[in-house]
Amino acid sequence: MLGAMTSTLTRRAWLGLAAIGAAVAAWRPRPARAQGYLANLAPEEPIADTLKRLFGSRPIKDGASLITIGMPLIAEDGAAVPIAVEVKSPMTPENHVKAIYILAEKNPRPLNVKITLTPAAGQAYVATNLRLADTGPVRVVAETGDGSLWIASRDVRVTVAGCAA
Amino acid sequence: MADIGTVKLAVPGSVRRGSVARVRALVIHPQERVERQGGRSVDRNYRFVNRIVVTYLGREIALIEPSTAVSENPTFTIPFRATETGLLKVTFVDSHGVKFEGAAEVKVT
Repeated sequence: MLGAMTSTLTRRAWLGLAAIGAAVAAWRPRPARAQGYLANLAPEEPIADTLKRLFGSRPIKDGASLITIGMPLIAEDGAAVPIAVEVKSPMTPENHVKAIYILAEKNPRPLNVKITLTPAAGQAYVATNLRLADTGPVRVVAETGDGSLWIASRDVRVTVAGCAA
Repeated sequence: MADIGTVKLAVPGSVRRGSVARVRALVIHPQERVERQGGRSVDRNYRFVNRIVVTYLGREIALIEPSTAVSENPTFTIPFRATETGLLKVTFVDSHGVKFEGAAEVKVT
């Protein structure tokens, strides 16, 4: 009698533990969903997911010959890494660069900045300072007026992390 | 940081009509980065510049949407085709909805 009760309790406890375990297992692998203020920021994700989120399944062509990325090979301070991007374009209303996206592959939130340009800019150029979390490629995507996408990248070695987030 | 919101614009002294010039715009701003505790982002209303509008002669040239991964005291260099003497304006807006504006006269010869 006593033996049977112990075994029942043990079994129940075991089942309870198993249920908790299953709940934890089901919950853990899901990426932390942004709540509250964090929902206003881009989600933490690998760069492939960012590209999918921004451009869906649209093809991205190799734009190495169109896009020039000026960056130091070694960035001593990841908190401020200068970058200058120039995209070859006549910048006419019919043929111009509509947007430039700068993404750092090793940052937890890869999209650093999006720049939307109009033909009145006369040139597809932008320069700024980035925060880079770690050594890795910085990728630039240019979107032209007709919707085609071009990508180029540049490797940067970061000596002191910029803790970008 | 009493200087938060100081906007500085640099444009060339004079520009030939029809040529492309560049404006360098800077705002003094902490551009807060996302804090982490135990590997997780802390949920807080981070204060960072997330919208910059550049206009020349009242027309929009560029719209910039930075994230927290743009350095402190955000600075951007943007080109524009100089057509007439007039005002170039840059408006920075941060995630708390505060606006910082700067303007510079572009002399076209």
